[in-house]
Amino acid sequence: MQTIYTLFLLTSLLSLALYKKPLLAQKIGFGLSSLISLYAAIFFFSHLGETMTWQLPGNFISSPLFRLDSIEMFFSFLVSLIAFAVSLFSFDYAKFYEKKANLAVFASLFNAFILSMLLVIASDNVFSFMLLWEMMTLISALLILINDGEGAGKKVMIYLGIAQIGASCLMVALLIMASFAGSFEFSKFADLNIGFGMSITLFTLLLVGLGSKAGMFPFHVWLPLAYCQSPSNASALMSGVMIKVALFAFIKFSLLLPQFAQFGYILLFMGALSCIFGIIYALASNDYKASIAYSSCENVGIIFLGLGGAFYGLGINSPMIALMGFIAAFFHILNHAVFKSLLFMLSGNVFTATKTRDMDALGGLHKKMPITSIIFFVAAISICALPPLNGFASEWVIYKTMVMGGIDEGVASRFFFTLAIIALSITGAMAIMAFSKMYGSVFLGIARNTKCVEEAKEVSFIRLLPLGLLASLCVGIGIFMSDVVGMLSKIVLTLIPQTSQSVFGLISMPIIIMIMLLCAIIPFVFLYLLKANHKEVRVTEPWACGFLYNKNMQIGSNSFTGDIRKALSFILRHEQEIKIDGYFSKAVYTQKVHDLFWDKLYAPVIHSVMVIADKIGIFQNGRTNLYAGYILIYLCFVLIFGYYYL
Amino acid sequence: MDFFYLLLQLISAILVAPLFDGISRKLRAKFQSRVGPSIFQTYRDLLKLLKRGRTKSHSTSYIYQIAPYVLFVSAAAMFCALPIAYDIRSSVLSQFSDIFVLLYLGALFRFMFIIAGIDTANPFAGVSASREGTLGFYTEEIAVICLVVVMMGTGSTNLAYITNLVQEGQYGYAFPSFSIAATAFLWVMYVETGRKPYDLAEAEQELQEGVLGEYCGKDLAIIDVAILLKQFTMLGFFLVIFIPWSFENPILSLIAFLAEVGFLYVMGVFIDNFGPRFTVNNGIKRTMLFALAISCTSLLLYIMGI
Repeated sequence: MQTIYTLFLLTSLLSLALYKKPLLAQKIGFGLSSLISLYAAIFFFSHLGETMTWQLPGNFISSPLFRLDSIEMFFSFLVSLIAFAVSLFSFDYAKFYEKKANLAVFASLFNAFILSMLLVIASDNVFSFMLLWEMMTLISALLILINDGEGAGKKVMIYLGIAQIGASCLMVALLIMASFAGSFEFSKFADLNIGFGMSITLFTLLLVGLGSKAGMFPFHVWLPLAYCQSPSNASALMSGVMIKVALFAFIKFSLLLPQFAQFGYILLFMGALSCIFGIIYALASNDYKASIAYSSCENVGIIFLGLGGAFYGLGINSPMIALMGFIAAFFHILNHAVFKSLLFMLSGNVFTATKTRDMDALGGLHKKMPITSIIFFVAAISICALPPLNGFASEWVIYKTMVMGGIDEGVASRFFFTLAIIALSITGAMAIMAFSKMYGSVFLGIARNTKCVEEAKEVSFIRLLPLGLLASLCVGIGIFMSDVVGMLSKIVLTLIPQTSQSVFGLISMPIIIMIMLLCAIIPFVFLYLLKANHKEVRVTEPWACGFLYNKNMQIGSNSFTGDIRKALSFILRHEQEIKIDGYFSKAVYTQKVHDLFWDKLYAPVIHSVMVIADKIGIFQNGRTNLYAGYILIYLCFVLIFGYYYL
Repeated sequence: MDFFYLLLQLISAILVAPLFDGISRKLRAKFQSRVGPSIFQTYRDLLKLLKRGRTKSHSTSYIYQIAPYVLFVSAAAMFCALPIAYDIRSSVLSQFSDIFVLLYLGALFRFMFIIAGIDTANPFAGVSASREGTLGFYTEEIAVICLVVVMMGTGSTNLAYITNLVQEGQYGYAFPSFSIAATAFLWVMYVETGRKPYDLAEAEQELQEGVLGEYCGKDLAIIDVAILLKQFTMLGFFLVIFIPWSFENPILSLIAFLAEVGFLYVMGVFIDNFGPRFTVNNGIKRTMLFALAISCTSLLLYIMGI
């Protein structure tokens, strides 16, 4: 385990050392990182369920302890698995950013990012955890800046700002917990002696602190900004695994608190809101990368629903619900890591080929990039939770948990669990619409802007290989659902040690697939028996009621969601603008969807901070003797305060 | 043996469904003071379509070609999820007969329907694909609210298990929430069958919609059967939960089921025939809000424990 960390560190330094030869550095940096992460993935997977510890050698101020238990091992495995696919993808993809940044720095940051995530997971001490946590944030911010462009600075500032709100809440929570435990080691935090009020406060602080990093509503505003700005491999890592690291920390820390059923209610409520708002914005967005980014918010909401069930189960002492809830959450974490990183990488493929992120400019890309298109289809099916792929498998377990939680006698639990199920089902219906719109308008139909699509061509084999691997994982996890659930239940049982129950009443994926295959044969039998016409298909123009067909007659992504946007206009604010100059010129139609919570929650705060900063500005006037005066006045105040109160 | 009954259930539905469609067409014609086609007309239409050649627009990709089969597979698998010719005693199939399997297979059907429509690049297909998605958004939540009441009332998502409980009278109309949910659920299932005033899958495209506008020949025939099967499944979904009749003999219960579904299907004509077709948002406001209100009432009753 130390070897893996050291190797990542060395690769990072090595790529930085090759600063003068960026192309070579890119090959070496990403190549080595894919090899190391493959090794790491195998290592962590084979040691799943074991405990390992490791102390930082040397005489530092403190020598922090690093410790991997079975849950940490699982998350380390997840990080290295996705890191393997993403770095293999970057081996070729990173070249696209040759002119924007030094690739050596890119490769170095990339390796450092993976390392920082692995270390955050392993760290067993408040100080090392916070330090590494902030390093992870900082490195990811620098990765976003690799794709420098207009407004990049502002987007990174928003990302860092929300990360800071989160980190300060997290720090406060951890310090309070440490003061109760009398130690800074997480392993000594167990059995904290705190009351209900304090527990809820700590839980809320943890939820804000880690939820903001995970992209939970209402802290989701940084998701589309950061992910659209960053290169696709960086957003694949950030959305695929960095979010999961935050969720991991959330699970780890909140399990240290005394458990109450109210924790479950809070999570269910926030999860339901996250689901619905995430998918509404994903649906309304016409930028495919922003849409994928918003759907991260939705999926984090779904994971929170599973966790809500789990914490509720712990709170009311029902190990069965807790077990199911944790399995559901872990299962969805695994699946989301796989298909979300896959989708981001695919969006990278589309962007490098077409140089546009606007769905209204694309279309008909399937003919140019058939393999990318088919992999995208698989990813879209699995993120929409359609059977028989993995998304369906994990959502089914979540539904099952919700039903088990909701049959309880209490009115509160019934209310929250039914709310959760309904939110999940609405999300499902809207996800179908969001992703069918995305897949349809990017890959199907006829190119709306021929210039963009004309020169597109399929990407190289080395970029398709990791995508193919992840797509087959999507299928594989779906088919072998019961094995995956079995593996996860072993990990989860270390979190709730009082029980040795197993999961029962699962649906059987192989039977679903078998029945679907059986049904697939029937039409062919009928076609054969009734001697259908198998003649060559005639190719024609699309039918346009006798008018001459024009590619602009296709449905656009705006009008596709027009009805739903109208129906949801009470939360989905949008402005439309129609510009017409003269009878014969083209009308320009633009539409902008506002993020309600940005307008109502963030914009006023930012505005007032700006105003205050403006007013404070007079104090900073460049005169040194005035500055010395400020210090003098401050010292006087401190002395007076000290004299009277200390 | 289980699989044999499953196949029997599926094949008999495929064979019988066009007959009920023919009957409802005849009935509709009578309402409109027309003579109307014979009740076997739907069979003739399908046979004719099988003999015709096919066209496709030059924009289409593999989605257009696989869509009919995927639509058929998802509709057929949905129908198989209904425990009619098998029941809770079949250990293999009861792992398949699950409410969420059925709902998400329906979602697969809708997903495929939408992208096949967009793939043709046909303006009408695109508009109706959008309509399909919007309708799905409205119906799904009402259906799930009703189902939540049932699922949480019985504590299971397994359809065969729920049917069994209702048949044995351990759960059922004695619970007010259950009986109120039945009303809203039937309403939504009618919407899901794709008929007026909400939808009309096989409409004349210049007037109304045409996800299927570009399809012809055997592709269209397969999609037609898939749509019929989906309509049957949706009505059957209502029946197996809310009016489960069953007999010891699987074949007898299959016949009873098909007759029941056919009856509901034909009765749908009464609504279908006299309703105008609204724009999506208008239609929802005028009619579906009631269904939502009913389902929410039943949910509220459940939460209060009635």
